[in-house]
Amino acid sequence: MSTGRRQSESVAYGAPTGDQERKAKGALVRKILKQYGLLIALIIVVIFFGLARPDTFLTMDTARALLSQSSAPAILAIGLTVPLILGDFDLSIGSMLGLGGATAVAMMSLYGTSWQVAVLVAFLIAILGGSIIGFFTSYLGSSSFVMTLAMATVLLGVEYLITGMTTLYSGIQPGYVALGQSTSLFGLNNQVWIALGVAAAAFILLEKTELGRNMYAVGGNQLAARFAGINVRRLRLTGFIIVACAAAFTGILLTAQAASSTPNAGVSYLLPAYAAVFLGSASFRPGQFNVIGTVVAVIFLGVVQTGLQMMQIQTAWILILQGVILIVAIQANRIERQG
Amino acid sequence: MTTTNLVLELRSVSKSYPGVKAVQNVDIALASSEVVGLVGKNGAGKSTLIKIMAGLVRPDSGQFFSVGANVELTNSDEASALGLAFVHQELSLVASMTVAENVFLGAGYPRGPLRLVDWAALRRQSDAALERLGVSINPKAITGGLSTAQQRMVMIARALVQDARILVLDEPTAALTAQETDHLFAVIESLRKDGVAILYVSHRLDEILDITDRTVVMRDGRVVDTRPTSEHDSASLVECITGEASAVESDTVHMRKESVASHDVVLSVANLSRHGVIHDVSFEVRAGEILGIAGLVGAGRTELVEAIFGVAQATSGTVSVHGTQIKLGSTKAAMNAGIVLLPEDRKRQGNIIEMDIAKNISMPNLPKLRAWSRLPFLSPSRETSAARSQMTLLKVKAGSPSVLVSQLSGGNQQKVLLGKWLLHGAEVFIFDEPTQGIDVQGRQDVYDVIGRLASEGKAVIFISSDFAELVGACHRAVVLVDGIVRGELEGEQLTERGILERCYQYAAG
Repeated sequence: MSTGRRQSESVAYGAPTGDQERKAKGALVRKILKQYGLLIALIIVVIFFGLARPDTFLTMDTARALLSQSSAPAILAIGLTVPLILGDFDLSIGSMLGLGGATAVAMMSLYGTSWQVAVLVAFLIAILGGSIIGFFTSYLGSSSFVMTLAMATVLLGVEYLITGMTTLYSGIQPGYVALGQSTSLFGLNNQVWIALGVAAAAFILLEKTELGRNMYAVGGNQLAARFAGINVRRLRLTGFIIVACAAAFTGILLTAQAASSTPNAGVSYLLPAYAAVFLGSASFRPGQFNVIGTVVAVIFLGVVQTGLQMMQIQTAWILILQGVILIVAIQANRIERQG
Repeated sequence: MTTTNLVLELRSVSKSYPGVKAVQNVDIALASSEVVGLVGKNGAGKSTLIKIMAGLVRPDSGQFFSVGANVELTNSDEASALGLAFVHQELSLVASMTVAENVFLGAGYPRGPLRLVDWAALRRQSDAALERLGVSINPKAITGGLSTAQQRMVMIARALVQDARILVLDEPTAALTAQETDHLFAVIESLRKDGVAILYVSHRLDEILDITDRTVVMRDGRVVDTRPTSEHDSASLVECITGEASAVESDTVHMRKESVASHDVVLSVANLSRHGVIHDVSFEVRAGEILGIAGLVGAGRTELVEAIFGVAQATSGTVSVHGTQIKLGSTKAAMNAGIVLLPEDRKRQGNIIEMDIAKNISMPNLPKLRAWSRLPFLSPSRETSAARSQMTLLKVKAGSPSVLVSQLSGGNQQKVLLGKWLLHGAEVFIFDEPTQGIDVQGRQDVYDVIGRLASEGKAVIFISSDFAELVGACHRAVVLVDGIVRGELEGEQLTERGILERCYQYAAG
């Protein structure tokens, strides 16, 4: 029907066909920009910093450092993508990150367990925490925003109970430290490969399985999902458990890398994770939260930060610029959703 | 009525929606100190007319006179500036605010020194308004915690404090007790004495006969009868409302109705109740049978099928498929037993409109469309081809399965919903207003699908506010009034008029 109308218009106004071709090309360019805008922006900033600091920025060392620095935050951001797809906020991920790392370290440092048991206990605590949030929000109907904000405080308190608010660095086993420090294939840090594995698993889960499709359906329209027989509550609960586990995992990698656990280490990771997920939602599947977008956004934000630091820009300006990037990304996302 | 004290007049107002002429060339006038009753069956155009008065809907043509001056309404503020106040059928209150705050919402709160809100005066005045209605509701109570009847009283109190010259009441007595209704009528009487013009819309004909001076009857978007209420009785009103129903029947749908008496019972619903909305409902549907559920708006039809499908929790009763009881309150259990529901609100409940056609059609069908049958992985190619075959079967007008549902017309959105559940398959198909807002061709396609399902031996439940459509399509119909089954019509008895008479007979008490 719409093509019919377009034809009749062109007859009425006698528009030349060349105009239409140009329009079609314009639409194609816009589509590419929408879909791959973030990737293009990433290439542009890499070229820019490469030209500005050719000796320091465009080196393998910088690339390796950048990737390992981005790995742990990427896992957190990938995890956060899941509840956001489902339409839920989780503001407790920073505290869960801190608690996860602290628990694992405390198990070894204070209770002398093996590093495998320590990691297992950290994950069990994450599953418990995620379940509590999921129970209150999806089964009892609390707002996820307020519930997870409250939970953030609770989790921080639990962390302090476990660690006694002290920095722990003794008794950490080499196997644990190796998780975050040793290098493997292509001289890349272990964390990079772990993050890639997590990204691949999340991508397959969200894009290729029924569970993932149902998650997108719940986020798209909870009521319609319910009328289609999808168990909305259980899926939302699952989302909170997944992000809690991702946060704990991130905490484990960060404490392994530092070979210590410092009190309240997680809070500073909360906002960058949101920044990455929202920035990522402007690309690849425009207007929708998606794993590839999240991963590219984490790298993009890392490149911007590293590059600006190398150019010796003041931290104040780096913060302002990062904030502005996020504002632009959220606007782009909003326009996409409405359009 | 004399022309000198006319306060509001609509002249040849028309409004069309795609496929429906909701209001056609309607003239209606209200004079001060007059109570005018407005009646008509579902879809007669009453609601659209009221929305036009409220400035919520812009008419396609026609004129609007207020105290003799021609005005054009573009939003609801302008209607209230003209002295119009409305009590709409739907509850429209801010649930989290107090009663007093809701009573004065929009009217402006009383101000004290420094132009700050005078909370004491607010409470006093809203208390006075509620007292006038004969109810005592704590003005500090949170509105959301009140009963439906109390909330309706708050809405009426809100209309009172606006000091309106014209008051429009749309089904104001729904959920009210006899005593509350009496109080309301006393208030209407005193308002009339104060010179207020009142338009009273109701399905309850006894109320219309009781309190109105003049009755306007609408049918199919037109005003078909206007006369002093004293010239009416209950029978003559029903006569006017139903009109010559047969003329409408023939040009909508006529299905071949073969006897299903010997077929097995597929769905049986026994003593099903849902707190406050449906009461003790029982019926059966046989294989190959199309059962209509008729009722006026608010009779509990949607609430009933939602309880059957398990999206809402029934408080008591049983639902069985082929003799096996299913767990109530579980959509999964209903679907596993072979019940599917195509909900009334396509945009909110039926489809995810920001997703494409293929993803909507595949939503409950993913396990059927797996890449490997034992693993829960999607197969985009099978998904697309399944969607494409449904689109061909149902004649969905769209370029490809990757078109977003939000870009489709209402009829095509309905077909996407049909495709989704046809692909899923079921023993019992429940259609809730499947032809609402759809053009003639789209309707025909929907009837074809329903007819085919019945001929394949499925049990079908068909809800429609268009009773002519039910008569044409269904083997049998149950009539629901205020959540209670008030009649079962079949064969010769199953006529539009028969349904309407049942509806009004009981609604009239």
